[in-house]
Amino acid sequence: MTQQTWDEVGGLLPYDEFRAASDAIVTNIEQVIEGKTATVRLALAVLLAEGHLLIEDVPGVGKTKLAKALARSIDCSVRRIQFTPDLLPSDVTGVSVYNQETHDFEFRPGAVFANLVVGDEINRASPKTQSALLECMEERQVTVDGVTYQLQTPFMVIATQNPIEMEGTYPLPEAQRDRFTARIAMGYPDPTAELAMLDGHGAVDPLPALRPVSDADTVRRLIGHVRQVHVADAVKQYAVDLVTATRESPDLRLGASPRCTLQLLRTARAVAALDGRDYVLPDDLQVLAVPVLAHRLIPTADAQLARRTTDAIIADIVHRLPLPHDRKRSPYENRPPAGNGRAPFEPRRP
Amino acid sequence: MIAHRNLGLVAAAATLLAAAPLSAIFERWTWLVQAVIAVAAVAACAALARLGRTPLWAQVLAMLGGLTLALTWLFPSGAELLAILPTPSTFGHFAELLTGSVEDMRSYGVKVPDTDPLLFVTVLGIGAVAVLVDVLCVGLRRPALAGLPMLAIYSVPVAVYVDSVPPVPFAIGAAGFLWLLVTDNVDRVRRFGRRFTGDGRDVDVWEASPLAAAGRRLAVVGLALAVLVPLAVPGMTVGLMNTLNSGVGSGLGGPGLGNSPGRVDLFAALSGELNQSRVTDLVKVTTTEKEPFYLRFGVADDLRANGFRVRGPNGQRATGDLPEPAERPRPGVERTRHQATVEVSRELNMPLLPFYAEPANFDDLGSNWFYDPNLQVLFSNRDDSRGKKFSFEYVRSTYTPQALRSAQPLPADLPLRRQQTVTPDVPEVRALVAELTRGERTEYDKVRAIYDYFSEDNGFTYQLSTEEGTSGQQILDFLENKAGYCQQYAAALAWMVRDAGIPARVAFGFTNGSRRSGETLTLTNRNLHAWTEVYFDQIGWVPFDATPSYGVPGSTRSAWAPDTDAPEETTPQDGTSDTPDETDPTAAPDRDPNQFEEGLDAGAGTGSDTPAGRTSPWPWLTVAGLLALLALLAVPALRRLALRRRRGRLAPVARTVDPPDADSATAGQPSVVVSTDPDRARADAHAAWDELIDTLVDYRVRVDPTETPRATADRLSRDSVGTDAAAGTAVRLLGRAEERARYARDPLTGEPLPAALRTVRGALAGQADRRTRLMATVLPPSVLGRWRTTIADTSARLVAAGGQLRYRLLRFNPRRLIANRASR
Repeated sequence: MTQQTWDEVGGLLPYDEFRAASDAIVTNIEQVIEGKTATVRLALAVLLAEGHLLIEDVPGVGKTKLAKALARSIDCSVRRIQFTPDLLPSDVTGVSVYNQETHDFEFRPGAVFANLVVGDEINRASPKTQSALLECMEERQVTVDGVTYQLQTPFMVIATQNPIEMEGTYPLPEAQRDRFTARIAMGYPDPTAELAMLDGHGAVDPLPALRPVSDADTVRRLIGHVRQVHVADAVKQYAVDLVTATRESPDLRLGASPRCTLQLLRTARAVAALDGRDYVLPDDLQVLAVPVLAHRLIPTADAQLARRTTDAIIADIVHRLPLPHDRKRSPYENRPPAGNGRAPFEPRRP
Repeated sequence: MIAHRNLGLVAAAATLLAAAPLSAIFERWTWLVQAVIAVAAVAACAALARLGRTPLWAQVLAMLGGLTLALTWLFPSGAELLAILPTPSTFGHFAELLTGSVEDMRSYGVKVPDTDPLLFVTVLGIGAVAVLVDVLCVGLRRPALAGLPMLAIYSVPVAVYVDSVPPVPFAIGAAGFLWLLVTDNVDRVRRFGRRFTGDGRDVDVWEASPLAAAGRRLAVVGLALAVLVPLAVPGMTVGLMNTLNSGVGSGLGGPGLGNSPGRVDLFAALSGELNQSRVTDLVKVTTTEKEPFYLRFGVADDLRANGFRVRGPNGQRATGDLPEPAERPRPGVERTRHQATVEVSRELNMPLLPFYAEPANFDDLGSNWFYDPNLQVLFSNRDDSRGKKFSFEYVRSTYTPQALRSAQPLPADLPLRRQQTVTPDVPEVRALVAELTRGERTEYDKVRAIYDYFSEDNGFTYQLSTEEGTSGQQILDFLENKAGYCQQYAAALAWMVRDAGIPARVAFGFTNGSRRSGETLTLTNRNLHAWTEVYFDQIGWVPFDATPSYGVPGSTRSAWAPDTDAPEETTPQDGTSDTPDETDPTAAPDRDPNQFEEGLDAGAGTGSDTPAGRTSPWPWLTVAGLLALLALLAVPALRRLALRRRRGRLAPVARTVDPPDADSATAGQPSVVVSTDPDRARADAHAAWDELIDTLVDYRVRVDPTETPRATADRLSRDSVGTDAAAGTAVRLLGRAEERARYARDPLTGEPLPAALRTVRGALAGQADRRTRLMATVLPPSVLGRWRTTIADTSARLVAAGGQLRYRLLRFNPRRLIANRASR
């Protein structure tokens, strides 16, 4: 399978072209998922940021439907894995089987050899199976029997999980969670959207009728565009400030990783591009802070006892962290930062 | 025990430190050596007594014993056993010394020489204080109370020096007291075992507890205030004449010593009051006399080597009629009878009362007041002058020069003459007197010759800021420098007249001042005055005032003693006067004699010799102060205005800047290029946004440093600019411009930012209430807040730097070494 290199994919698309392509996907998905534009766009942003998506919510809000709709909207290879307790790693990665005709082992690719991999109920598989995803999600390759196989581009894992039901599930380990770029919750639809859903889906499921509006090549070009979005130094500084704040927050036992910083900025680029901008704003980071950061963090026992979720802690940090002001100084004056010098957090004493 | 011993030593050292103010009293340092010996004896005895675990009373006895031994050794009578064991004769000697000290206190002014009686009293006092401090600190563990006896020592120089007490010795004494308190508390805290600290961290023994920082700061601030405020506020101690009453020795000798009326240094009091910057009403006097001579309350006629001294008066009760002033009708002597009422204010406190000479009878005076007809003073041993009101009749005598000239020289063996012409031998003065009086035949002409000598022609000027004192050397200095005030003039004239063989003395009182309404004169501390009285045979004491009249508000002159500096219209008829009359007016062309008649206080307070209106500068100063205040208040508003103007101005079209960007097309070009348009647009957007933020601060709209420009603009257009759609659009434009300027590759260009800013500003002002608008204009919170932030940052930096420095210095703390040694 030949792939374009990123140089060949090229830089910024014309604004209209990008807009048309991305809007087509969003509109297409919205035929199935009503009233969840922001969630849908976020899912698309994760795709364009070359990340992986974890959809976490109560049963029946359309997790799987979103995943499938996204997969169907893009004309590319899609594989689905239903994670069950007896699923084996080889089911995910592939296995070498003995070919009696050739008297040799030949590799049978697993489910991950696709552009989009939908992993349903991922926490129902044993950790052994879950960890089969570690390599492919981060390194976009699979190593079986000492042979490494590259995965295609785009490659995206969309996993769903149910946080309420604990019986017979294996919570994702930290390493696995850190590989998901964003975790989104579907949330209940608002009453009008639910009414529209009844009208639209009451008779027939629209999902099988969904036609692809894009293809892998277009997505690659969209990704190429996102990679070129401008990030000012102040925004980078803000991203670093954000993750640093999670590491220093007294409520968190485990802060965000450097990988998280990278993914945060990448997703922010995608969000900015979807918003029609060629530059990232701190606003983008603020919007993404909870979806991108929250699922990787571990609150302290005190915070857990106080029923402070990581979402709330992240929102609090965003609320208290002043914007960095390392912009080019105005030649008119030397004004100190407008902030009143309030430090967001006192550094913890060793 | 170790702590007790330590505390005892500190108590002794603190006592010695507290005695530092006494250095202002003594000429030399002998007292300190002796005090150290006495205190050391006391401390040693206390330590020994404590070693034996004796009860407190025994410790006190031991200390007193030690003090007695030290005193015996220091002040021997010659009959001691082994030089230190006292015998009855020793105590007799002590009693003599005590009596002698009372005498010395009366006879010496500060600074006193090392006389045995005074040293004895001093050492005894310091030793007694050491005993008290030791008992309070170590025995009773009440070191704060120990401050009282220590303060008693300090009260001695306070009582002696009328106007100024040196601040440095006070600081030393206070430091001693603090040391005592600190030592006691450190000891107390150590007994807790573990030391309390602020943050739960363990603190070494040598290291100060973090909790102590607040106390230390308080102590430093308190000490600084206590030293600086009295220095900064002149005349804070109201009514320094109070000290006339207490005299010296109130801290040592107890009450009663030196309390005799009039036995105080009236000269010192006089200069102190004249140098006060504050003007206090002291006396109100109403008289039927049109042009009264000076109100008078004291006299100094005891001339010794160190100057004129006041003698203790004695006399009869001043109730009812006094012996009628001698009625000796003579040609040229005119006597008139007048009635006067004197009302002394609460500010004037002394055992003397002011009145006009010569009194015929007093009314409304209690039985505590006595009149001395010789000194012509009204005194009391028990009462004081505060708030006294009384009336009296008096006889005013005026003399023609001829009448005085006819007075004969007094017989040489007359006690008055013998007593009142005593002068210490100062050959220079004697020679000057001899030269001045050469050829003068009558007593009056001699006096006039000397009197006229103090004229401006001879170079005499009025100056308050001269060294006070009337000893021989000081009189000589005055005659040489020819600058002084009433004290020097009066004393010098009296001294020289005495040298000429004529009785003379110095009188104290008030001039007629400058505030007169009808028959009532109001006299202040500035009107205090001294002049000379000369005794003529058959006539009595006749006043002569030699002080230049321009220096003395309310000065009056008489026919027999005319103003030597004024154009002499009342020239003595016969030409025996030495004064060259015709040169006087030309010699002082800049002094209009009319100025004196206008009753201006001729700058007496400042000691300058330029006659100027005292009250006139105040309105101007007030106006200037108000203007300065207004200007100060206007500074924030002006600063805000300047900022707004600068931000509202569009950037100049072309600027030269360094090429900072890699994308600059002229990267390889010389380093100065014309900047590109985006830079300007960026700067404009920043300026507009900064101005918007400041405006928000001014109008008290919330500013959130965590908000992005977009979020801020959204919030403002939603909440703060009201229903004004144009303002909403404008604020979004500003937000977008700032956002692009900060975060995008290319800033917004060509947008009307100043107009948008004006729109938003107008909308914000419309939403704010009137008070907010006013404050935004007059005292913009944005400017004030920025200053506050700057100050806070600076002080925080300073505190941090100070903390680091302290931490480094703590390494060298000797107590750390002690602690290490102890732990080994």
